[in-house]
Amino acid sequence: MWGGLFWLAIGAYVTWAGRDLGLGRLAEPGSGFAFFWIGLLMCALAVSVVVQAAIKGSESVASLWEETRWEKVLIVTVMLLVFGFLFDWLGFIVCALALLLILMFFIDPVEPKTALIVSIGSTFLVWAALTEALKIQLPAGILAGAPENMLRAIARGGINAVAAVFSFIFR
Amino acid sequence: MDILAGLWKGFVVATQFQNLIACFIGVFIGTLVGVLPGIGPVSAMALLLPVTLSSSPEAGIIMMSGIYYGSMYGGSTTSILVNIPGEAASVVTCIDGHEMAKQGRAGPALGMAALASFVAGTFSIVALMLVAPTMARVAVAFGPAEYFSLMVLGLTVLAFLTQGSIAKSMLMACFGVILGLIGIDQITAMPRLTFDRLELLDGVGLVPVVMGLFGVAEILANLERKLQREMVSAQIGSLMPTKEDWKASGWPMARGTVLGFLLGILPGGGAVIASFASYAMEKKLSKTPERFGHGAIEGVAGPEAANNAAAGGAFIPLLTLGIPPNVIMALLLGAFIIHGLQPGPLLMVQNPGIFWGIVASMYIGNIMLLILNMPLIGMWVQVLRVPYNLLFPLILMFCIVGVFSSGSAVFDVFVMTIFGVLGYLMRKFGYEPAPMVLAFVLGPLLENNLRKGLIMSQASGSAGFGIFVDPIRHPISLACLIVAALILLAPLLPSMAKKRQVIALDSE
Repeated sequence: MWGGLFWLAIGAYVTWAGRDLGLGRLAEPGSGFAFFWIGLLMCALAVSVVVQAAIKGSESVASLWEETRWEKVLIVTVMLLVFGFLFDWLGFIVCALALLLILMFFIDPVEPKTALIVSIGSTFLVWAALTEALKIQLPAGILAGAPENMLRAIARGGINAVAAVFSFIFR
Repeated sequence: MDILAGLWKGFVVATQFQNLIACFIGVFIGTLVGVLPGIGPVSAMALLLPVTLSSSPEAGIIMMSGIYYGSMYGGSTTSILVNIPGEAASVVTCIDGHEMAKQGRAGPALGMAALASFVAGTFSIVALMLVAPTMARVAVAFGPAEYFSLMVLGLTVLAFLTQGSIAKSMLMACFGVILGLIGIDQITAMPRLTFDRLELLDGVGLVPVVMGLFGVAEILANLERKLQREMVSAQIGSLMPTKEDWKASGWPMARGTVLGFLLGILPGGGAVIASFASYAMEKKLSKTPERFGHGAIEGVAGPEAANNAAAGGAFIPLLTLGIPPNVIMALLLGAFIIHGLQPGPLLMVQNPGIFWGIVASMYIGNIMLLILNMPLIGMWVQVLRVPYNLLFPLILMFCIVGVFSSGSAVFDVFVMTIFGVLGYLMRKFGYEPAPMVLAFVLGPLLENNLRKGLIMSQASGSAGFGIFVDPIRHPISLACLIVAALILLAPLLPSMAKKRQVIALDSE
C-alpha cells in the first residue's frame, strides 16, 4: 500500500514535469511528451497496486523489519553518506581505511588482528592498483604532499618488483 | 565460407596476448563472483566497466563477456556444496546438486555441472556464429517502429517473468525509462528533471545505479539477517561422472542446451528462466520424476546446460540488433558505448574484429573455464570458506571505488547510496530491480525511436501511433505489440495467472 502511494506521488510529479516541459504535437513530440505519458501510466499502475493492496490486505510496514538487524542497515547507510561528504577532504586512503575498520570492528565483527591486516592491506593494494597501475586519480585529501609521495614510491616499487618477476618468468 | 573467414579473423584477434589475458581475467572473475554468494555478475561487470576504459575495445569487451559466462559456471559450485546459489541462475542446481553432495556424490555433481556448462556453452557459440549473420541481415531493414516495438516487447516479457505482481514490475520499467531520460534532451537540448544540478545534465550514470541496486542493496539485505553457510564437509572425490550418470544426463543436457539457447535470445528471457524451464521440463519428461529433489543428476545437467546456453544466446539480440535482452547485456552495451562502438546490424561489417573476436574468445574462454572448474575446484572450495563478515566490507569498498572511478565524481557515490537504499526498500516491498535497470538503459533508445516514428508517421501518411501498428509496412512492429499486449492480458486468464505464480514462487 505504502509502496503504491510512493510511486503514485512519483508518477504524478513526472506527469506534471512532462506537461511543464512541453508536450508538442503528435507528429512532432516535445521534450515532455514521453515524461507525460509514462507518468500517467505510472499513476495508473500505482493506483492498481494500491487497490490490490487494499482489497487483499498487506503487511504493516513495521512487520517488514521485525526480527531483523535493521540498525546495522541504517548505520551502514549513514556511513556511506558520511564517506561521500568526507571523501574529497580526507582522501581515499583515510576514508576507506576508516570505513573498513568500523565495518569489521563494530558492524559485523571479525577477529581484530584479521580486521587490521585486511583493512590496511586491501586499502593500500586497491589504492596502488588504481593510482599507479590503472592511472585513475583518487582524492589524496589530508595525505596530499609528502605522505602521498612516499606511498606512491612504495607502490611503484611493488609494481616494478611484480613486473620484474613476470618478465623473468616469461623470458 | 564468410563465417569461417570471420572465425579465423576472430581467432587472430582473440589469441593476441592482451586479449588472452583479458579473457582469462574475465572468466576468472566470473567464476569468482559466481562462487561467492552476495556478489553477482551484474555488480562485478558494473565495477569493472571503468577499468575497461584503459584497455583496447576488444580486450575490454572480451573481459566483460567472460565475466558473464564465467559466472554461470561458478554459481553451481556454491549451489552444490553450500546449498546457497552463487548467482540467480544456479538456484535450481541447489535442489538436486546439494542432495547429491549430502549423499557423498559432490564430485560427480560438480563434474557434471562443469561438463554440461562446457557442452552447452560451446553449442551456443556455434549457434551464435551461425544465427547472428542472418539476423543482422534481417535487422538492417528495421526502422524506428520495429525498434520501438521490440523494446516494448522485451520490457513486457521481463516484467511478466519476474517475481510478484506485473503492475509492480511495469511500474519499475516505467521508472527506469524516466530515469534514463534525465539530462539534456537529444533533440531540443532542453534539460529534463536535472533539478539544476550540473552533474545530471549528462544523465544519471549507469554504474552508480547498478552498483546501488545490485551491490549495495544486496549487502544491506544480507546485513539485516545473519547469513548461515553450512558447507558439505565430506571429501569431494573424483569429479568424473559414472557411465550411468552420463546415460541419465545425455538427453537432459541436449534438451537444456537447445531450450536455454532459444530462451536466451528472447528479449526479457535469460539464464534464470532457462534453468527453471529446463528443470520443469526434465521432471515432466522423466520416467522417475520422484527422484527429482533427492539427488537426480539430470536435475543438475539440464539446468546447468540451459543457463550456459542462454548466456550465449543472449549475445544475439545485442550484437545483431543493438538491443540488450537482459540487465547483464545492458551493461555490455555500456562497455560498447564507452568505447565509441554501437552494437547492431552494422557491427559485423564495420567492426568485424570485435564481433568475431568476441565469438572466438568465447571458445577459448570455455576451455579456460573447464580447466578452472575441474582440476582447480579445490581453490574455489577454499574461496567459499571466506566468511561473509570479512567479505562484505571489501565488496562495499570495491563498489565505492568502482563508482568513483567511473566518473571521478563524489556525486556518483551519493547516487549509489540512494539507489542502494532504494534497492533495499524495493526488495522489502516486493519490487524487482531488473526491469528498472533494463528500462533505464533502453529508455533513451525507446524515446528516440518513438519520436522518430511519430515524426515519420506524418511523412508516411499514417496517423500518429498508426505507424507502429501498420500491418503492411511494419508487420514486425505490429506482431511485437500484439505479443506484448497478449502477455499483459495473460494474467487475467486464471490458468495463466496460476502458471506465472508457480514460476515466481519457484524463483524465490
